[in-house]
Amino acid sequence: MRRWAPLLAVLSLTCRPSDRAAASGGGPAHRIVSLAPSITELLFALGAGDQVVGRTVYCLYPPAARAVPSVGDGLNPSVEAVAARHPDLVVLYRSPQTETAARQLEVLGIHTMMLRHDRLEDVARTAQLLGRATGHAAAGDSIARTIDSLLASPVPAPGARIAYVVWDAPPIVIGGGSFLDELAARAGAANVFHDLSTPSATVAIETIAARDPDWIAIVRDSVGAPPPAWAARREWRTIRAVREGRFLVLPADLFGQPSPRAPEAVALLRRLLTR
Amino acid sequence: MDRGLILDVKDVSFRYAGAARDALAGVSLAVSSGEFVALLGPNGSGKTTLVRVALGLHAPWTGSAAVLGRPAGEWPRQALARIVGVVPQREDNLFPQRVRETVRLGRYPHLGAWTAERAEDRAAVERALERCDVVALADRWLWALSGGEYQRVRIARALAQEPQLLVLDEPTASLDLRHEMELFELVRGLVDGQGLAAVLVTHDVNLAARFADRLVLLADGVVRAAGSPADVLRRDVAEAVFGWPLTISSVDDRPQITPLRRHT
Amino acid sequence: MKWLGLILALLASLLAAIVLGPASVPAGELLHSPIFWELRLPRALLGVLVGGSLGVAGASLQSLVRNPLADPFLLGLSGGAGLGAVSAIALHLGGAWTLPLAAFAGALLALGLVFRLGLVAGSVLDPRVLLLGGVAVGAFCGAVTTAIVTLAEASELRNAFLWLWGGLSGASWQTVTLMAVYVPVPLVVLLAAARPLDLLTLGEEPARHLGADVLATRRRVYLAASLLTAAAVAVTGVIGFVGLIVPHLGRALFGGRHRVLLPASFLAGGILLVLADTLARTAVAPRELPVGIVTALVGVPLFVLLLRRWTAD
Repeated sequence: MRRWAPLLAVLSLTCRPSDRAAASGGGPAHRIVSLAPSITELLFALGAGDQVVGRTVYCLYPPAARAVPSVGDGLNPSVEAVAARHPDLVVLYRSPQTETAARQLEVLGIHTMMLRHDRLEDVARTAQLLGRATGHAAAGDSIARTIDSLLASPVPAPGARIAYVVWDAPPIVIGGGSFLDELAARAGAANVFHDLSTPSATVAIETIAARDPDWIAIVRDSVGAPPPAWAARREWRTIRAVREGRFLVLPADLFGQPSPRAPEAVALLRRLLTR
Repeated sequence: MDRGLILDVKDVSFRYAGAARDALAGVSLAVSSGEFVALLGPNGSGKTTLVRVALGLHAPWTGSAAVLGRPAGEWPRQALARIVGVVPQREDNLFPQRVRETVRLGRYPHLGAWTAERAEDRAAVERALERCDVVALADRWLWALSGGEYQRVRIARALAQEPQLLVLDEPTASLDLRHEMELFELVRGLVDGQGLAAVLVTHDVNLAARFADRLVLLADGVVRAAGSPADVLRRDVAEAVFGWPLTISSVDDRPQITPLRRHT
Repeated sequence: MKWLGLILALLASLLAAIVLGPASVPAGELLHSPIFWELRLPRALLGVLVGGSLGVAGASLQSLVRNPLADPFLLGLSGGAGLGAVSAIALHLGGAWTLPLAAFAGALLALGLVFRLGLVAGSVLDPRVLLLGGVAVGAFCGAVTTAIVTLAEASELRNAFLWLWGGLSGASWQTVTLMAVYVPVPLVVLLAAARPLDLLTLGEEPARHLGADVLATRRRVYLAASLLTAAAVAVTGVIGFVGLIVPHLGRALFGGRHRVLLPASFLAGGILLVLADTLARTAVAPRELPVGIVTALVGVPLFVLLLRRWTAD
């Protein structure tokens, strides 16, 4: 799931604010195909896990999701594979590529929901939408309340300065448009690249060095992962945090996508920062 | 044997891969310095093939081809280029070039990969430009030249090689009368003045007869007649080779053929 | 005089590259700053080596395949490099040098394939077949690469494409040293072939009659130029337009003789890439533009200027 982060971050550029939900013909959906890992996670969190009959190959969280049959890629979905699961609802991540697939599914008479799911506030809204659609409205509202209260709580004064580095060749960092930036702010850390409005951006190593973050945040599959290979290279060691080995290794299941467990993510980040 | 035998082709036969018949069969050609030889014959008679075999580009199936007494195929390419200057039929300049630049290329057979051009090279280029009367064009672009000027420049390049033998393959093919005459006069002048040998492949029988010392008439890969213009351009021989009724006249003591109309 | 101008231009661009950057380092502190020593200086030097290599490779290949629009990447090398890099990632091969080595290996594979295709009638290397073969091999490698990216499950693969788009961001003293040791050999081979290349521009037959060993020259030039390009791709990805336009700049300034054109193309290529990279780093700071875009943006107006001078002549 950590592999999704840069991808989702980059793709958030393409989303529009309004969501589109096709009118469903009656009761809650019982055969749902989810075409984004964040959606899959949300569905299971709502308690609608056994209503999910299809997921993408990247949907690996929670572990129970792996038992659900995969229908392939979520960004370039195979309409046939999705239709073969006989869904009554297909939830897609909003992007120009998925627009086409959504139209094709509609033509086949399958109801679709296109959701923007990039920032924490999106989690609250999609939780409510999906809660109603799956007959778990209460759970949906509960999640929405948790997220809203997180968002309503005062932002702590920024203490440590961090930079998220998601790729090294070329160096890609997370900017102000991403949920990771939000998580950092809630945890009392300042993203040194907050001034970049896009979710991610290519920068030069010397820019990172010049902004001199206290910590380098990387998203990995497990918390125990070693520092990245590029940390040993001379060019990267011009960055103080790399020289001093100050890496924050963030688990992908919490930090790979905007998730209902955002408060947990913020708490973990806060703990790591005070280490 | 004779004064400077340069090309010695004896009894060669050659067939192109996959061809139905021989391109050359039992052809001989000897060219000495100070001689102007014209190769004549219809299309496909083997004129260009003969030149290629003579210069070692193709190995003959039978017979032998030697340059200055050494088998043509054994000559290193660069050494041969110092002996023979060839002006091929076709040339396709990739990038725009000026006249002087292209004539300078004629010095390359005398230069190694790393040696710089010397004063003698520059002098040779100037001499070649003068002899071909293209000095005034030296800084012009090649594409701006007329057909006749362009051919003279190519001959200048061959001259810059300071060869003993000049080979020209259909140099007047697309030239008008004036430039054609100028070219033949030029070649004649070089042979007379510098003692060069020249082999000129051409369709123009009459001009060849006016200017060349010897004619070699090829048809279907076989030498049908060879010798002085007077010997070769006799009515019976010429009519048999060209397959058309002719009448022979004389200009400058050289025979000239004129084809007759079949019906009057 | 022109050479002096070119060398001065190179020094000026190097100066700009080490002084300018998204991190503002005051001139006085430059020599003490690790940003200068570990980041800007190696990056500027790599720009010269890679830009120069692409310029020389472009000039030689344009003459070899008899096409003024030839670019070093036209011969399938970029496709091969991409395939190598993507395969390495898909196979989860780790290691700091995996990507460049795999890209280099892929480029060599493409080189070998195109060479084999170009052997017409057993041993003759035909320029037109090289060109067509290069396009075919490049397209094929590109297709296989896309297939791997589609079928495999590593999303790092999509980031690999970003790397392949080209850039000097990975510059280090290691890569600079590697290139500095590697590049002279193919360069010398190409310089030695300068005169035969001049002759080849007349056509195969005239070249032969002027003493050129056409076959040997073609082989040497093809291999040396391709090896230069393969190293450039392995180290900095595909940076387009440099190899295409620099030879024409060189010809406009210095004429077509390769003894002069090749060194001029090296210098001009270095200048163009270093300038483009400096612009890429500073124009939209703190963000960085892909350098291939900047080389095109800078190169096209220059090219148009040249074209107008040519046609006015």
